Amino acid sequence: MTDPRPLTTFGRMDAGTTALVLAGLVLGATGLGILHRATQGRVRAASGCRVVSIDGVELGGRATLLQFSTEVCSPCRATARVLDDLAARTPDVAHIDLDVTHRPELAAEYRVLQTPTTLILDGDGAVRARIGGAVRRDLVVAELEKVLAA
Amino acid sequence: MTSASPGRPSIDPRGPRFGAGITAVLFLVIVALALLGATWIAFGLSVYAAALFAWGALAGIQRHPYGLLFRTLVRPRLNPPVELEDPAPPSFAQGVGLVVTAVGLALFFVVGPIALVIAGAAAFVAAFLNSAFAFCLGCRIYLLLARAGVIRARGAAAA
Repeated sequence: MTDPRPLTTFGRMDAGTTALVLAGLVLGATGLGILHRATQGRVRAASGCRVVSIDGVELGGRATLLQFSTEVCSPCRATARVLDDLAARTPDVAHIDLDVTHRPELAAEYRVLQTPTTLILDGDGAVRARIGGAVRRDLVVAELEKVLAA
Repeated sequence: MTSASPGRPSIDPRGPRFGAGITAVLFLVIVALALLGATWIAFGLSVYAAALFAWGALAGIQRHPYGLLFRTLVRPRLNPPVELEDPAPPSFAQGVGLVVTAVGLALFFVVGPIALVIAGAAAFVAAFLNSAFAFCLGCRIYLLLARAGVIRARGAAAA
């Protein structure tokens, strides 16, 4: 079988070079995956300067777990279950799950680059922490305790 | 409380990740063949991959052939799933895969086999990350499109 067009952009590679390219792809993708896994669910403290006020959203009395989701997001559901449960067990703590498909302006305003993104707000609505990706229950509990104790 | 929206069927989340594993291997083969000069075999396999992506995106991930393979061969050997997931996210991801593969196929006629290599490498990385690390590239793209106002909310989901 002959190719109808010459390989003008790059020459035919030998097996060794091809194997190197494939190994590079697998290693590179694995590196990206490890990086991704390391950042998922990590709690980043926020200055507390920013106060959240969103039309039609009632914040919790002492703290709010504000989650940004989309419809096409599997980890969002697992995160919603964890945060729902925590809010139900803790008095005056609310869990709010906002679908940014319906409120795209909020995704831009709060610089949401992945879903779920969770903001932990204190009783005044000030942003105390930010969690990108699926939450880890123990980390949220620890952060929530800090906010409630403050 | 169920893990999926009411009225939507639920699937075992390991099914799409199993399928993504097969897809990742397929794209590694495509990249290798395109680099080695077996251009038309790489092209044919890319068409095959695009057809499967189209199937998953249009018919839904539940009706994807790899899903059938998973249910009949793999799932009986595994423990029951810890939780089920909505088929919408992986079905959307199939659409993203279709777009990447289709762009590669179209550019092949403009720039030659390098298009199959680049599109195949991109699709490999996405499928590999999905399969091995449960990273959903389609979900990120969906969010960016929603932010840009390209995707509008569906009325049925407004509740």
